[in-house]
Amino acid sequence: MAANLSSDPLNPLLERLMHGLPLLTESSTHVFEVVGVLESYGEVLDAYSKNLIYQGEQQFLNPFPVFRFFHDGLSLGRLWRHLNHDRINFEYAEYCQKAMLWHGTGGLDAFLDSEHFASICKQVMHIKQRHDPLLGLLSSLFPQFLPELIRSAATTHALGQFWRVMSDLFLELARAHRQKQIDSIAAIVAFVKDGLVAAAGLPIRYGVQLHGTTVAILPEDAGLTFLMDVAVPYVEAVFLRGMPFLGTLSFNAQATQIPHDQALFSYGALFADPLPTMGAGIPPSLLMQDMYRHLPHDLEAWYQDHGRGVVDMHVKICMSFQKAMFCVTNGAINGTMPYGLDDPDSSHQRANRDHCMAWLGRLRQAQLNALDANGPEAISIPNQPPLSHGQPPTP
Amino acid sequence: MSPPIPFLPSSLLLAPLVGSLMVALLGGGASPSWLKRGSLGVLTVQLLLMVGLLLQFDPTMGQIQFLEQAPWLGNLGLDYHLGVDGLSLPLLLINGILSLVAVAISPLTTPRPRSYFSLLLLISGAVNGAFLAQNLLLFFLFYELELIPLWLLIAVWGGQRRAYAATKFLIFTAVSGVLILVGFLGLALATGSLDFSINPVLSQQLGLGTQLLLMGALLVGFGIKIPLFPFHSWLPDAHTEASTPISVLLAGVLLKLGTYGLLRFCVSLFPQAWLLLAPGLAVWAAVSVLFGSLTAIAQTDMKRMVAYSSVGHMGYVLLAAAAANPISLLGALLQMLAHGLISGLMFLLVGVIYQTTGTRDLTVLRGLLNPQRGLPLTGGLMILAVMASAGIPGMAGFVAELMVFRGSLLSFPLATLLSMAGSGLTAVYFLLLVNRAFFGRLGTEAGGKPPVLLPLAGLAQQTPAVILAGGVVLMGLWPQGVVDLAVASTSALSAPAASITTMAGPNKTPAPLVPLETM
Repeated sequence: MAANLSSDPLNPLLERLMHGLPLLTESSTHVFEVVGVLESYGEVLDAYSKNLIYQGEQQFLNPFPVFRFFHDGLSLGRLWRHLNHDRINFEYAEYCQKAMLWHGTGGLDAFLDSEHFASICKQVMHIKQRHDPLLGLLSSLFPQFLPELIRSAATTHALGQFWRVMSDLFLELARAHRQKQIDSIAAIVAFVKDGLVAAAGLPIRYGVQLHGTTVAILPEDAGLTFLMDVAVPYVEAVFLRGMPFLGTLSFNAQATQIPHDQALFSYGALFADPLPTMGAGIPPSLLMQDMYRHLPHDLEAWYQDHGRGVVDMHVKICMSFQKAMFCVTNGAINGTMPYGLDDPDSSHQRANRDHCMAWLGRLRQAQLNALDANGPEAISIPNQPPLSHGQPPTP
Repeated sequence: MSPPIPFLPSSLLLAPLVGSLMVALLGGGASPSWLKRGSLGVLTVQLLLMVGLLLQFDPTMGQIQFLEQAPWLGNLGLDYHLGVDGLSLPLLLINGILSLVAVAISPLTTPRPRSYFSLLLLISGAVNGAFLAQNLLLFFLFYELELIPLWLLIAVWGGQRRAYAATKFLIFTAVSGVLILVGFLGLALATGSLDFSINPVLSQQLGLGTQLLLMGALLVGFGIKIPLFPFHSWLPDAHTEASTPISVLLAGVLLKLGTYGLLRFCVSLFPQAWLLLAPGLAVWAAVSVLFGSLTAIAQTDMKRMVAYSSVGHMGYVLLAAAAANPISLLGALLQMLAHGLISGLMFLLVGVIYQTTGTRDLTVLRGLLNPQRGLPLTGGLMILAVMASAGIPGMAGFVAELMVFRGSLLSFPLATLLSMAGSGLTAVYFLLLVNRAFFGRLGTEAGGKPPVLLPLAGLAQQTPAVILAGGVVLMGLWPQGVVDLAVASTSALSAPAASITTMAGPNKTPAPLVPLETM
């Protein structure tokens, strides 16, 4: 495989990974951008996480979840700010949740399709039918309706738990940078990798209170853990695959502009065009707006001095965000490397190489130009919408 | 009504011409910024004087008002004879507005600013003179006076192929001038009257052959200036090489000298000959419209596309003039005004695009409507201008084209229908322009054109375009303002032709006459 890669543009990236170097070019500007944008992302994820956990626990099977974004309590002032759009775009968190549910990879999805989960659903249905005739009727008419709602709620809560960890990790990264403990891209990637590895075995659990009874939707004996059952499916669904349906750029499925195989989708955050053309996929502009509200002052001042100042702030945030997400992906690649990079066994190194190539193959059409681009002025024409892709990673 | 301000027409000449002289002679040590401010001041005074003229003007009178007459070179028949009517007043106003716009958008980095601003003021004054002149030789004098500064402005301040474009412009327009002079001199010789006044009574007594000969010279002369196919080839080159302010003036004002001449001298002085040639002129108009439109479709340079659209849109004026009834002549004036505003706006916007992206190439530009990294306001205004040009209701182009077609349909149904098709083609080529340059993903390229990061178009750059766009919408929503101002004069202009048609018998009546004063 490696013999055929001499002219492959991915080859330099593969070599960087195999030598333990970060994908993102090392520079003080990149460190400044990535740490700053991850700090604001951490603040936003904190809010997303709190809301998703609130939705999972307090809005479970609510037929009309009109006020589901008010996890801090409902008041006239908050309602006004919500309607006036002076708020966090929790819709973005829901898009990510839907992407995870729809793509459904990893251990969480496998559990949601298991007999065990079906029995939990029956238990929920049994309790609910006595108190909620509407739900009882719908459930008898459409037997898959309730399990699907519960799957959605489980994904919502699991994503909330995942983002709780990531939010703390990113805010901790910013603190470490302020304390001069982090001063390079390599250190950021290592920090993220260590954080992911440390949290890898954290159990993912979810229980709800139903009319005085506690029901474990994601019980402890399901054995779901942070890294393989939520983090990796999240990266797969949100960073890589995404969805081609939520933008105004139209794709003609009949003309096979959308791959037949869902696993070959590449509309995720790493592929998104930073220019707000409202391209397909999860609308990153919502997230950019949320991060804009929480930017560290020095990064905001830096953005104001570059590009078009305030006018193209979202574009610049998105470009920095993609650099940061390449660091996180880099951390995930390193964290899931089958063997140590200093392992002398050549068959182990081949396995490492295959592991890296599987990931890089997925990133072939991604915004790889962000890796070298210095300064938010630089933005080039993206690749054409891909019709075919490499194989999904086998982390 | 307040007492009339004395010598208004003369002051419209004096303000820009004296201003031009002062900038040229006294502006030696002044910075470009002060030269620009001074020129803006002069042109603001000029515009205020025009507004004063507008307020004093009696729109119910079809005759020339504010007459000023003084003997000058009596032996030559050159009298200083100025006046205004409902045909020339709106055109004066367009000149006032667009001259101000042209100076406002002129960059301070313009080389040789003293000569540049002085020449711009000179053009503005000369155009005023041509619209005010009530003596044939005086008109010719101002018509030629505007030529030299414009030639210099293209030849010195133009683009890469400016020498070629300026020389071509000079040759074409010089021939135009010669033909017009021949026409005027011939008229004087034929009528035996050397006073060169605009006197339809004398010219109408000439034989039809003489009329045809004299009018033919004038027709081709003005046809070059308008320009009509096949005399148009100087215009796209001149536009492409001229800087943005000059393009705005050229398209918005200077071409109107040709159509104004057509109405003022051909239609009114030689009604019999005009009536005879009218069917041929209508066909010529349709050919010009279709040629301009079809050629515009093939263009990839935005400026050339807008220039060819001018060839097409000026064809409507010839069509309306050919029908020569009150509605069509009013339509001709409206079309001149609408085209002045719309094409001025378009060249302004193309200028902003060229300044920020470094190119006007439609095969390169893409996605400029992008709200954060593109030119969203310029794009929005361009869409408005394109809609106006294509005759979408609610904007200036619709009113003008509707009036032209309404006036000419019964006289020349085939030519009118063909011109309508040309109007449809306007939508085609301008949608191509908008679709290529503004929609889609913003196309940027490292080290190329357009650059990766387009500079922001500042407020000073955008304000003139916003004002012109406001004018386009205002005229579209309230055409009655212009109609009230001009209807008496355009009806008077059509009167000789109408009387001849009536005399020729009912079978030759081209169109029913509608009492427009009741509109």
